[in-house]
Amino acid sequence: MIIAVSGKGGTGKTLLSSLLIKHLSETGKDVLAIDADPDSNLPEALGVGVVKTVGDVREELKVDTAKGNIPKDMNKWDILDYKIMESVVETPKFDLLVMGRPEGSGCYCAVNNMLRKIIETISSNYDYIVIDTEAGLEHLSRRTTQNVDIMLVVTDKSKRGILTAQRIGELSNELDISFKEMLLVVNRITPDNKDLILKKAQETGIEIVGTIYEDGEVAEYDVEGKPLVELSDDSNSVVAVSKIVTRILNSN
Amino acid sequence: MFEDIPVDVSPMYEGERIRSANMFVELAGPKSIGAELVQVEEDVEDGKVEVIGPNLNMMKEGEIYPFGLLIEIKGEKLEKELEGVIERRTHELCNYVKGFMHLNQRDQIWCRVSKEAKDAGFELEHLGKSISILFKEEFPIIEAISIKIFTNKEDVETFLEKASTAYEERDARARELSDEDVDVFYGCVMCQSFAPTHTCVVTPDRTALCGAINWFDCRAAAKMDPDGPIFEIEKGEVLDEIKGEYVNVNTIMTDRSQGTVDRVYLHSVFGYPHTSCGCFEAVAFYIPELDGLGIVDRDFKGETPLGIPFSAMAGQCSGGKQVEGFAGLSLEYMRSPKFLQADGSYERVIWLPKAIKDSLIDFIPEELAEKIPTEEDANSIKEIRKFLRENNHPIMERLKAAKETIEESETATETVEEEYPADMEANPEIEGVPMAQVAYTPELSLPSSGGMKIIFKNAKIYAEKVIIKRK
Repeated sequence: MIIAVSGKGGTGKTLLSSLLIKHLSETGKDVLAIDADPDSNLPEALGVGVVKTVGDVREELKVDTAKGNIPKDMNKWDILDYKIMESVVETPKFDLLVMGRPEGSGCYCAVNNMLRKIIETISSNYDYIVIDTEAGLEHLSRRTTQNVDIMLVVTDKSKRGILTAQRIGELSNELDISFKEMLLVVNRITPDNKDLILKKAQETGIEIVGTIYEDGEVAEYDVEGKPLVELSDDSNSVVAVSKIVTRILNSN
Repeated sequence: MFEDIPVDVSPMYEGERIRSANMFVELAGPKSIGAELVQVEEDVEDGKVEVIGPNLNMMKEGEIYPFGLLIEIKGEKLEKELEGVIERRTHELCNYVKGFMHLNQRDQIWCRVSKEAKDAGFELEHLGKSISILFKEEFPIIEAISIKIFTNKEDVETFLEKASTAYEERDARARELSDEDVDVFYGCVMCQSFAPTHTCVVTPDRTALCGAINWFDCRAAAKMDPDGPIFEIEKGEVLDEIKGEYVNVNTIMTDRSQGTVDRVYLHSVFGYPHTSCGCFEAVAFYIPELDGLGIVDRDFKGETPLGIPFSAMAGQCSGGKQVEGFAGLSLEYMRSPKFLQADGSYERVIWLPKAIKDSLIDFIPEELAEKIPTEEDANSIKEIRKFLRENNHPIMERLKAAKETIEESETATETVEEEYPADMEANPEIEGVPMAQVAYTPELSLPSSGGMKIIFKNAKIYAEKVIIKRK
């Protein structure tokens, strides 16, 4: 099952992604986390270090090719396959693939075509895949999320966050991308504004699957740069995401 | 067939990855050493599988071990040249074994054995046995096959040395592979989303314009994804060996460009040059004043002697267009022995950026290397001409010869098809008034009537004064 997390920048995509991964990896299944945000911070939230990203590997291959460093009769698919496998961060609980920097100048048709196949192959080896997408709508128009089963859209209380959520819903309809489910998660609500925000969130037309309260502990972790997966099990946010995971797993 | 193998063996396990969390041991890979090698031998004991060094039952869970895989084969029709082709199947065939992961080739392999396979009683002999059977099935010309697996550091090191020598010999052969040696070229339409009339023809002597894929890559891609954007072109009948014109290539071009382009020369920028996508690494461009070729690559940020930078030039000839006098190309193609051979190869090159000249220095004929100016030597037609003259570039001979013919023909009869070559000595300074070049275009059609069409090729428009007015 492929779960993607999208929404406006700063609404809490990485918080939701990292806690989803935390819960899913506790099921004992094979979990792959993909950080598709070029300005990535999922590794920090998961508390793992990254040596090389897919973007780095792609550049390496391009440089080696241009310089004529690759023996003619060796196959670039296989070389890329190896290098991508090398860039996967493997932990006992989950594996992580970081997409990293965007393309430079020059032609990326060939290498991206190879990458798409390779990542598909790698992905087919996992039970759950969680993609932390880049902010905005680009992943829809470039169809990098078209095989996704569950699209989780995150918004906070801001009007712009809700507007982006609504656009994600509209655009996937327009582009005819049919996820099995598209669900909305409302983040950073407070008891005072809860009703008002939920009412506005409902207007996006996307089913609300969960709410996460403004969480002082999360803010503190963010300030100190502590991994969000280390939040205690009874923290508000962890409990909220746990409910979302149960709901998704039960209906799929 | 695989009754005594404790795990499943089937193509369905191809693409299997073993997470480090699920693996028993890792073999070779980035943290250790390893290699695989197929060798044609005289004396091969069929079906023999030997494991030299610790077997799986002696290995410790979670550890990484060196790994060497020597496959010796014998057969009446087996030749040394086939070793590479057969060896490349090792990756695929090893992956048929459930619980055994295999990546890449040669001395860059990376394998893992899953805990599940280990628990089922899987040993390295089983791997050897499985691939012996699979290889004979895939290549009936293999009459006998024996496998040696090394897992001791010293043995793998010795094996690596032997393997490296074999790879080097093979690379030398691959470098020599030319268009004449093969029956199949490849077409690639990966760029058609933005260059709808472009089909890249990839041959042993001609890498794709993007530089990303060569003939060997295409062969692998066409096999892996037969319905994908890379497909076979039967070489078929040769129309012109020097220019690189082939009947079947022309047919494919017509077909894939919806009739827009029906003829291409693979090794020339004149007549019917290859179409250009948009992502080529470099462009070869004709400099009419000097009857030579300039080359500029994507990383060169300045202006070319034509007065425009790479980006502007790329804009004019890309998108699947066939523009005479321009051809997108890859840097690798500049290392090819057929590099624009119909136009005179490096003897026709009269300007190129220093960075690519340096990177190609081993491929530019020694006697020419000093005669071709870069942006450090010359940046305008005038400066280039001066440099070429001073350094005695072979193009000067050509110019002289051309000038003589023109002078002769000017006094001769008038031709109906008026295709005047550009004035060889054109000088944009008229009576001392400096002229600015305001436009350059490889092809320009003027609106006209009366059943006539006026097309300027390689037109340069100079003006004494340019006035831009708000309407």
